[in-house]
Amino acid sequence: MPSLRELQSGVMRALLDGEPDGALPLIAARGIAPKHRLDVYANNARANFIESLISSYPAVRRLVGEDYFRQCARGFHTRHPSLSGDLQSAGAGFAKHLSELHGDDEFRYLSEVARLEWLVEESLLAADHGPLDLAKLQQVPAAGYDDLRFCLHPSARLFASKYPCVAIWEANVGSDAEPELIDLGAGPDRALLVRNRGRLNCHRLSCGEERFLESVQAGETFAAAVERGAARNEDDTAADAAACPFDAAAALQRFVLAGVIVDVR
Amino acid sequence: MDNGAHPVARAATGDPMPAHAGTGPPAGIEPTAALGARAGIGLRAQHHLKVLSDAPAVGWFEAHTENYFADGGAHVEALGRIRANFPLSLHGVGLSLGSTDPLDTLHLERIRRAVNRFEPALLSEHLSWSSVGGRFANDLLPLPYTEEALRHVSSRIAQAQDFLGRRILIENVSSYLLFECSRMPEWVFLGAVAAESGCGILLDLNNIYVAARNFGFDAQRYLDAVDPGAVREIHLAGHSAVEFEGQELLIDTHGTPVCDAVWNLYRAALRRFGDVPTLIEWDTDIPALEVLAAEAAKADALRAEVHALAA
Repeated sequence: MPSLRELQSGVMRALLDGEPDGALPLIAARGIAPKHRLDVYANNARANFIESLISSYPAVRRLVGEDYFRQCARGFHTRHPSLSGDLQSAGAGFAKHLSELHGDDEFRYLSEVARLEWLVEESLLAADHGPLDLAKLQQVPAAGYDDLRFCLHPSARLFASKYPCVAIWEANVGSDAEPELIDLGAGPDRALLVRNRGRLNCHRLSCGEERFLESVQAGETFAAAVERGAARNEDDTAADAAACPFDAAAALQRFVLAGVIVDVR
Repeated sequence: MDNGAHPVARAATGDPMPAHAGTGPPAGIEPTAALGARAGIGLRAQHHLKVLSDAPAVGWFEAHTENYFADGGAHVEALGRIRANFPLSLHGVGLSLGSTDPLDTLHLERIRRAVNRFEPALLSEHLSWSSVGGRFANDLLPLPYTEEALRHVSSRIAQAQDFLGRRILIENVSSYLLFECSRMPEWVFLGAVAAESGCGILLDLNNIYVAARNFGFDAQRYLDAVDPGAVREIHLAGHSAVEFEGQELLIDTHGTPVCDAVWNLYRAALRRFGDVPTLIEWDTDIPALEVLAAEAAKADALRAEVHALAA
């Protein structure tokens, strides 16, 4: 008689690796071949996994169509089966999988859209938090602002991509209408996702605002964040520089009012 | 078998998330409030808003524990608000109690957090396994009915109960295969697990019916063997059928109404187990809330009928 461990290992190889030879002799036929009986479970495992990806990646699915999405999801399941009893986490590496499939071709933006959709998932499931208590800020003398460390809402997620992936994502979720044509050369997209009053908001960012928020999220002081926001990078294009005048007071006001900055230390 | 055409069993996936504003009132129903008075229905995310706005005429709700593991967000908030108005049961599908891997304490910790958050009257898991070697099938896989499996799963249930500080219910699963090494029928195994671990039994009558049809035993015999004192909840659901080489196999899809044969089993179960909290489960091709409430009302009518006869 096989041990319980041996039996389970054999069955799991049949379900996830398509190698049923170890499991077949363990199963009673009773009118239906053991292979078919195992297939019921193998199909369930795959279908449950793919359903989870369908729920996490609606825009990618719409962009590539049902058949190709399922093909990609099946390939991803074979290489990266679920490692948790909670299928919610199953899709975590799907963007990387898509970049391996389409790193250099005309679909190279797909993995970026997938990365954005995973951040959307994270944002939707993150902890709740109320708005910033303005009294806390009013207690700070103006001279003390430099040393403040602001905290972002737990659902805040920064996203940047080479392609206009926020526009692509927005055009492919929430509406069945035929999406507009988007020029892949339209330049980079930067955005901040944050949940506010139960709703997910997507704020477009200038590169200055992006650097400012990255700094705040990393726990740096307000002075350091302002410096990061105002700095120019060597690889900034002329267009970046022109589009990124950074106004620290305006940024602080914008992100407090939008429920992005929710605490201060 | 073609994957696309195959009926899919329930999964612990996230449902689409409706966005809505506002925070709920604090829980107003005692956690221990009886689930018995009326039948409950399985709670699905697409029904959250309707449940909150319409307060449907059902006794209670049962939610898949894993669907409310998140730190925050719309799902968790909605369940908190629903919990303020209805008794609740949390029903886990991912703990993999029968697995020979170490018990997943992170998963248990998340269950404990959900229990503390939502104060369910009942907490249940399955008599199954879904993982080994760290890899998960995320399905309810049957155990071999052996002495080794009996000792193993009983000790794991006891461990989980110790961790959670409360008794849990264990549900019999649908199965599509039997292991050659099994040495006892499922009903003996289930009863022994309950006796050894101290858990209660969540008896799924549809799963009994599916297994009885798939393996050719009499479902009534299963009912007759289960200790009436151990059964704390009953599940009713629908199933589908597939065919292999002319041989029918029933699949537990939870995507159709409860069939007549299962309603008949329910009558027999009410006579044997008394007025046990009853739940209508529907997890795929989910219909309107009214359809689920109508199934629950049907269960309530049968309970009244059986009680009237018994009185």
